[in-house]
Amino acid sequence: MKISIEDKIGPRCIIKEDGQKVYDAILEPLSRGEDVTLDFAGVTQFASPFFNFAIGQLLKDIKETDLRRLLHIENLNETGKLVVERVIENAAKYHGDKDYRKIVDDILEQQAKESV
Amino acid sequence: MALLGGLARLIEYRHGKFAFDWSTIRADIMANLNQNGFAGTFGSPFSGWSGNSIPYREDRSLDMNGIMDYLTYNWIGKGWVHVSGRLRDAIAGRMWEIYNNAFEHSGTEIGVFSCGQYFPHNDTLLLSVVDFGQGIPAKVRTFFRQYTNEDLVSKLTGASCLKWAFQAGTTTKVGEPGGSGLDLLKEFVRLNQGKLEVYSNEGYAIIDRDGERYENHGISFEDTVVHITLVCDERLYHFKDEAPS
Repeated sequence: MKISIEDKIGPRCIIKEDGQKVYDAILEPLSRGEDVTLDFAGVTQFASPFFNFAIGQLLKDIKETDLRRLLHIENLNETGKLVVERVIENAAKYHGDKDYRKIVDDILEQQAKESV
Repeated sequence: MALLGGLARLIEYRHGKFAFDWSTIRADIMANLNQNGFAGTFGSPFSGWSGNSIPYREDRSLDMNGIMDYLTYNWIGKGWVHVSGRLRDAIAGRMWEIYNNAFEHSGTEIGVFSCGQYFPHNDTLLLSVVDFGQGIPAKVRTFFRQYTNEDLVSKLTGASCLKWAFQAGTTTKVGEPGGSGLDLLKEFVRLNQGKLEVYSNEGYAIIDRDGERYENHGISFEDTVVHITLVCDERLYHFKDEAPS
């Protein structure tokens, strides 16, 4: 399966609603183990909300190694690559379990040290 | 200016009345307010936006194309710094993260206010974005209350909340990944020797070439003010495959 992002979304991949459209189109084939190619030719502007929804949220259903094997990205410029890599990195952290109670304790401990 | 415009709209929203007494404003400042459309927006009879300034802007909702056009053509693309079209697009995309955060997290009911300014004396370009939502520390505390008790959460300072919010991969959004926007913005500012300042509730954050600092201020207010300052030195801006000019 190959999707032209410019045809589907336009030259700006910015908002989460557009990312969701891409996610909805690729989740099923990826879940079946099909290869999917996203072609970014003609796309010039990028921001993280688009990639959080298009790709970041795939990590709750698909393992990162499988995603990297099945999802192919073409003609994405340097800016887009940086954003997508950062989103995958952070989404992997996000989908891991977090102990927020401990995080608050740690912040307070740090705060106490800094106020001495 | 963004703060002043937002305050005026907040007064309106709360059924108050405001008026600017234009006659009390210094002539050079008034010329600026006329040029960027601020005075015209608030009823001054003399103005309308004219070509060489960065317009004052009000957004009631997240208008992607309107905001991206503003950033791309009226802010970074205005010719203050000569960058390639590709880099101009990349910088505008980074700045979008500020607007996205303002709308996504603040819960602002009156919108987001912004303006820009080019300062020839030190060759810097400023973007200011203001929302009148709950503030980042308040949002962080609300998020943590789901997981731990109020006593602990209430001890978190504004500075600590901002510091947590600015870390990569942290987000207060439930059920959706995030935490990349501010991280990317911080990285961009550091690499390009710019400055990112955030005032939110009682917290203050500054990110510049010297690193990140978080402080608590005595005064707390409900809004968030973001200032980004870029140095207009073309040698600072290029992709790896573009030769510096």
